[in-house]
Amino acid sequence: MTSRLFVRRRDGRIEVRLNEAGRDVVRVAVRRVVAAEHDLDDEWNATLNGPIDPSRDQDDPLLTLARQHEMNSNAELALLTIDETFLNDGEAWAWLSTLQVALRATASEHGLVSDERMSGADEAVLTEVKNLQLLLFAIADVV
Amino acid sequence: MAQTTRRRTADADVVTESEISSETSTATKRPWDVVVWNDPVTPMNVVVVIFKRIFGYSNNKCTQLMLTVHHRGRAVVWTGERERAERYCVKVQVAGLQCTVEEAAS
Repeated sequence: MTSRLFVRRRDGRIEVRLNEAGRDVVRVAVRRVVAAEHDLDDEWNATLNGPIDPSRDQDDPLLTLARQHEMNSNAELALLTIDETFLNDGEAWAWLSTLQVALRATASEHGLVSDERMSGADEAVLTEVKNLQLLLFAIADVV
Repeated sequence: MAQTTRRRTADADVVTESEISSETSTATKRPWDVVVWNDPVTPMNVVVVIFKRIFGYSNNKCTQLMLTVHHRGRAVVWTGERERAERYCVKVQVAGLQCTVEEAAS
């Protein structure tokens, strides 16, 4: 039986039990989200800036700005706390949100939009996806 | 709609004003749906946690909505006023799920 990667302590804090390899997975994913937020040409940008109301030619700029700000705040907070042993609820939520954004952006970037496409995917990409899924599965259990 | 207004203005100003106001309020009150779309990679428990955090629904309701997304490809997770629907949609997108708003079916 594998040990839990995140544990909710009695004082309410969330203990991060990731080894350095696990933290590296988080670090790479979070840094990529931060970078994509600042680079319009980044392949992840389409996922980060999906339409809010597809019936409009263009979404409300205030809403898209709010989305960019919130996504960026989460990613920056996750990056700031990447080496912490304990996370509070807000920090854990920032980790979960940013890892989830990274997971979906990774899948979109490699065209993994259906179960069929998943089964035919490159092994390295599948490993990346599975690592993120494992982390998300574990952190969702304690958030 | 503009032509109708002009014609009625010539006949009776009072009636026109009340009709305009009632038509406007009907249009703004029309409900909008927040729709979450399925993807093949997001773990199911993550979807439940996100719904719970953003909408404050019970565990059961979040699980039901997650299963609807999973089996039908999409689920309406909230319905109401357009601006609120758009704000909820942004929150769901920030949490990493694919989400859009659309006019609710009458």
